[in-house]
Amino acid sequence: MAEVLWHLGGSSDNWDHLKETVLGRYLKGSVILVFGTLILSVCVGVSTAWLVVCCEFPGRRFFEWALILPLTIPTFIAAYAYFDFLDKLTPALIWVRLNISPDAMITFGDILRYAVTILVLSFVLYPYVYLMARSAFSRQGSRYLEASRTLGHGPFSTFWRVALPLARPAIVAGASLVVMETLNDYGAVQHFGVPTFTTGIFRTWTALNDMPGALRLAAFLMLFILFILLIEKLLRSGARYHGDKTTGLAFQRYSLGKFKTFAAVFCCIIPLAFGFIIPVTRLVLWAFEALENNFDKTHFIKLTLNSVGLAVAASLAVAITALFLVYVARYFKSYIIHVSNRLAILGYSVPGAVIAMGILFVSGQINDVFDFIITGSLLTLGFAYLIRFLAVAWQSIDSGMERNCEQYNEASKSLGASAFISLFKVNVPLLWNAVLVAGLLVFIDIMKELPLTLILRPFDFETLSTRTFDLAYQSQIPESSVPALCIIIAILVPVIWLNRKMESE
Amino acid sequence: MNNLLELSEVTKRYDAGLPPAVDRVSFSCLEGQILAVIGSSGSGKTTLLRIIAGLEMPDLGRVTLNGETMNSQNECVPPESRDCSLVFQDYALFPNMTVQQNVAYGKASKNNSELIDRLFDLTKIGDLKNRYPHQISGGEQQRVALVRALATQPSLLLLDEPLSHLDPELRNNVRCELLNIFRVTNTTALFVSHDTEDALTMANQVVVMQNGKAVQIGSPMDVYSNPSNSYAAMLFGKTNLLPRELIPSAPYSFLDEDSGKELVSIRPHQWMVPTSTGNENMPSFTGTIRSVNPKGAHQEIVMETETTLLTIHFPRVFSAAIGDTLTVVFNKDS
Repeated sequence: MAEVLWHLGGSSDNWDHLKETVLGRYLKGSVILVFGTLILSVCVGVSTAWLVVCCEFPGRRFFEWALILPLTIPTFIAAYAYFDFLDKLTPALIWVRLNISPDAMITFGDILRYAVTILVLSFVLYPYVYLMARSAFSRQGSRYLEASRTLGHGPFSTFWRVALPLARPAIVAGASLVVMETLNDYGAVQHFGVPTFTTGIFRTWTALNDMPGALRLAAFLMLFILFILLIEKLLRSGARYHGDKTTGLAFQRYSLGKFKTFAAVFCCIIPLAFGFIIPVTRLVLWAFEALENNFDKTHFIKLTLNSVGLAVAASLAVAITALFLVYVARYFKSYIIHVSNRLAILGYSVPGAVIAMGILFVSGQINDVFDFIITGSLLTLGFAYLIRFLAVAWQSIDSGMERNCEQYNEASKSLGASAFISLFKVNVPLLWNAVLVAGLLVFIDIMKELPLTLILRPFDFETLSTRTFDLAYQSQIPESSVPALCIIIAILVPVIWLNRKMESE
Repeated sequence: MNNLLELSEVTKRYDAGLPPAVDRVSFSCLEGQILAVIGSSGSGKTTLLRIIAGLEMPDLGRVTLNGETMNSQNECVPPESRDCSLVFQDYALFPNMTVQQNVAYGKASKNNSELIDRLFDLTKIGDLKNRYPHQISGGEQQRVALVRALATQPSLLLLDEPLSHLDPELRNNVRCELLNIFRVTNTTALFVSHDTEDALTMANQVVVMQNGKAVQIGSPMDVYSNPSNSYAAMLFGKTNLLPRELIPSAPYSFLDEDSGKELVSIRPHQWMVPTSTGNENMPSFTGTIRSVNPKGAHQEIVMETETTLLTIHFPRVFSAAIGDTLTVVFNKDS
């Protein structure tokens, strides 16, 4: 990050050209995309979470878990599943050109492009908000909602005045994940032709062959993210949003009338349909089509092994590193270790393309100094995953250690055990579950990851996601559906398992 | 006075395999009355309160409030439409709102600013209006929750273990305050408590709950001195449950379902040392003192007779030592 930020004031041959022509467009594109996706994701995520937690309607229990399924679809695969969506709107564009003006058609075309990208991203990213909001509404428990009801307030008023403000920190946390994922996305925005910082970084680097210019764009993206993180911090501070404890009493859900029941089912079925059912159905149909044509099964098995092997190895490394960092911070309670832990997990806020730029720069210097080429190796890629996804594992293990191990570590210390003994005899057995969850979360993220892998993978090394991207880039959408479906299937099982675990907790 | 609340054969079962949480409970509450529902943990008192508030739907039976039936076969008047307000055990003050915002939250509180000001004065929490719940003490939170509920001017105020979070000294003060507020605001209140002292000091009427059933309904003193079974007797503190034939002069007795015997409940303070006059005809109990425990102003003596163990409370000045022989008689005037 420091390496990238260092280039904020650096020089580049094309910088003046970039500044005059595309920097404004990248900024505008990123802002529109982030705010559009954010608003739609929050609306869908919060409303569906409220419905499944607080209202009773047919299919509620099904929707409770089914609404997380879009989480299994990487954004770029969702974009490919809707690849022809814009084409279907061409008659409308022609109508605008003929009846209004060619300029109006261009403007209308831009609006459609943004609208479709925002819709596609929102319908696969809303589960981040949904999961956080669902958990917050459930944790609020019965007492605040019941208190509101006994004071004369109906469901709508209770939602606006009590449930929503109390869930605000959780919703902001979910929304910030949506923002980070939107800024990180490369495949979807590249496919729909929306200019953002990420596409700009790739274009400047690959098309203009201007690494310093790309680094400078990455630095601007970092500033944009720091600004968003600041807003998030401000939104989450202020009044207290949680009570001292929650009750175990089950909430008597609002029973809905006929019209409201229909509206609730409709509200839940739309995001599920657009975020999962339609894209997966299209991918399955295309996959059958591709399998009937000369599909290279041997190569495909190699791709799957590459992807799963890389994801398993990297998630293991990330989970073990996170366990070590959390343990050291909690056992020794040193301020410096605490701060360095916090710095280490900042990587999740940084888009993959930016991390890749930073790592390429650093690894280039290592190559020069030690005369040993690490650029383009699996080691560099693994290190990039570690930086990007350490926070995911860290959060899970840290909360597990806070819940389970704090007092036992004190007891272990008082019995004269060393830090090493405490780690392996006390913490590891107690944290086994948390480490497993951490590993699975990282596995899911790595399976879905594209920009980092695309930039840092070794020469001729392909994964399911890079293959999907390459095939789609060559307009072989039906062929790209097979690796895309494999990614979804690989993610589906851990996602459902994790959701069950969350519900039981 | 009219019946404000009437429960008829109300039954609620959470799980088909378990006994009902509330089992055919019937009682009524008059306007202006303060009714206490007491019982140990799991006796069904909180479920009963939640049914009255509309937060739970009864499986059977009828709840009538202000002459209006609150539940039919499948439909229930929702809590927000009932003319009652509930003070939760942990107060449930909204943590994102100030005291003022909490109190003004009730839908019916909007036009009651004069009443709210009066309640703030009465409860002496006017200075806390701009504070958040986590910035005030437990006792103050309890008062805010009470004011919030009263500000909606409900016909019936429901309180779930209103004093359970307070320390003993504060609890005595709050009991007096609550009674004063109920009197000044002419409130009809129903509260549940596991602490019989709350019922004895605050209620006009007591309902004793055991295993989901209302086993006794009456005035607090009536339930205290004339319990309907051994559970109701022991709920109000230590007592000696003796066969009726041992103390024929005891004014009350009940049939114990377990032993099938008629028992009397003699409280530890209802014993005395026989005097030369007046209790020659009273049955006396002689035994050996097994323990002597000082309990502040009095001492608790456990005496073993040939047939039973007796618990006796005597003033501290009474000289007693372990191993001494003691004779006591029932003091029917105590």
